[in-house]
Amino acid sequence: MVSTTVVGSYPRIGDTSAEQRLRRAIAKFDERGISEEELRTVERSVVKEVIEEQRAAGISLPTDGEVTWNDSQSHFARHFDGIEVDGLVRYFDTNTYYRQPVIVGPIRWREPAVLDEWRFASSVREAPLKAVVTGPYTLASLAKGDGRPKREIVHEFANAIAGEVRALRAAGASHIQVDEPAITRNPADVKLLADAVATIAAERGTAWLSLFVYFGDVASALGTLTSLPIDNLGLDLVQGERTWKALASQGSDIPLTLGLIDARNTRRDDPARAARAALTLKGELPLGESYVSPSNGLEFLPRAKAREKLGLVAETARLVEAGL
Amino acid sequence: MSLLTTSVGSFPKPPYLTKARAQHSKGELPDEGLKALEERATREWIAFQERIGIDVLVDGEQYRGDMATYFAENLGGCEVSGLVRSYGNRYYKKPVVTGELVRAGPITVDWWSWAQGLTKRPLKGMLTGPYTMMDWSFNEHYPSREDLALAFAKVLHAEARDLQRAGARVIQIDEPALSARTDELDLVVKALGAVTQGLDAKTITHTCYGNYDTVFPYFNRLPVDQLDLEMSNSGLDLLERFQREPLKKEIAFGVIDVHNHVVESKDQVRRRIEQALEIFPPGQLYIDPDCGLKTRTVEEAEAKLRVMVEATRAVKESRGIR
Ligand SMILES: [Zn+2]
Repeated sequence: MVSTTVVGSYPRIGDTSAEQRLRRAIAKFDERGISEEELRTVERSVVKEVIEEQRAAGISLPTDGEVTWNDSQSHFARHFDGIEVDGLVRYFDTNTYYRQPVIVGPIRWREPAVLDEWRFASSVREAPLKAVVTGPYTLASLAKGDGRPKREIVHEFANAIAGEVRALRAAGASHIQVDEPAITRNPADVKLLADAVATIAAERGTAWLSLFVYFGDVASALGTLTSLPIDNLGLDLVQGERTWKALASQGSDIPLTLGLIDARNTRRDDPARAARAALTLKGELPLGESYVSPSNGLEFLPRAKAREKLGLVAETARLVEAGL
Repeated sequence: MSLLTTSVGSFPKPPYLTKARAQHSKGELPDEGLKALEERATREWIAFQERIGIDVLVDGEQYRGDMATYFAENLGGCEVSGLVRSYGNRYYKKPVVTGELVRAGPITVDWWSWAQGLTKRPLKGMLTGPYTMMDWSFNEHYPSREDLALAFAKVLHAEARDLQRAGARVIQIDEPALSARTDELDLVVKALGAVTQGLDAKTITHTCYGNYDTVFPYFNRLPVDQLDLEMSNSGLDLLERFQREPLKKEIAFGVIDVHNHVVESKDQVRRRIEQALEIFPPGQLYIDPDCGLKTRTVEEAEAKLRVMVEATRAVKESRGIR
């Protein structure tokens, strides 16, 4: 059965007044007008709403929308030793920013970063909810280094993220995704990434582990990526258009998450066209065990458009299933 | 005249204007009511810059919301999206290109002429660059990013010519998205060149918070007379590189961190200027904040600009620079 999932992030506010309650709550909290507990209550109501929007649209493996994250880098790094979180830097080409982690010593996992959020989000749902962590290669690439070789930094971040995965698994997380957008910028570094993924995979126990690469193509690294010790590989097939050709010629033994719906543009995708493209890969990979998803997190779109894209993901998956 | 001071473009809107904009968007304040307050705020900012002694002025963009959507609202073929997040609890709206871009008439010229009429000092014409407009827009119409960037370049070139015709001697074309995709730097050069070609006015491009390492070799290729760079937030890392690979155009050197509430000390800013002077001769060097100051309060922005001017003055006096 072709299934549906998302990459992770989702717009936390929309254009209606009710959809902006988190924005108002954060502003009030910053002015000390409400307590942290009151802010958490609003935050959690938005997480619930985001999970419900995914369910209603027909997404079978949702996330918490990363509603509580300020950004994908500092959200993890501030729970690691050996890191100080510094000024704002542009996050890839998204016109959003992240607070840059600065490496000041050996990097070690100190305490869980996303465990509480995952616990709450999965408590509002019977079926599994995917936990998402930022990958060690991306953390190392976007942090400000201390002069040590990248290999060493990636290795330390890998151990730190392995600590997070261990904590998630111990709490019962059955589906865990590692995000590695930075590898699309430097596919030649795929060996570094492979070592890091092996370190994390050793901690996954029985959990389903996936790796998602987005914001570009991984055509030249595809062979290494599909032979990693993971259960699923997620690919951005919109910005990473060039990966299509590699997929057609090399195929994959492991199921994929096909990022077919453009999460960077408001233009409405054609599900029939997306499904036809996916079906050209029939026989090259276990399509029936694969997922359809947006090309990356949906938070770069206005909320109403993100909602529309969820529906397009579900519609595309139905059409792929029908064509098998 | 050398070691001149200037600003990047935007200044904070005073509370009365922020309130008026909210009322206006709810339909509780007519266009003329809003415009009167935008003019009042512009007058106040021009007077402030003159009072503290800034050399090259800006109008402060009191009548603009977001730097990209302002142009989107004034172009045919362009709409404005719902809210998307920028960082933390800050959100903005993006241009949505739904058809062929058409400039029905000048967009910024009336404001520029009116504001220039308030001062004898030069006032910059301010445009958002074609690559940044493209990168920050949702594209529902043009077949490729290049097509869209060049379409923006065409309308911005017409706008720049109109500014020049109205008397603007300095035109700044902001490209904060410059380093968004390092494989598109040739497109930045091409699109920016399509805007600046044939202009006699001094042209400037501003960029900030990017991956300067990769962009560096392109600095000399950018078809403008002056490069305006955020430097203090990047920890002045770039200076060493400029020493090895000299810049062949003017530089406006950011000495004020715009993302921080804390007002720099005069000594701190003075040190930054002294460091810049180790690499650039005073005739090539302008002093300004890292970026637009619009996210600060009016009080913070004024205090930061005052420190900038005082520090520059102190450096000039101690070195006998005129
Ligand atoms: Zn800037």
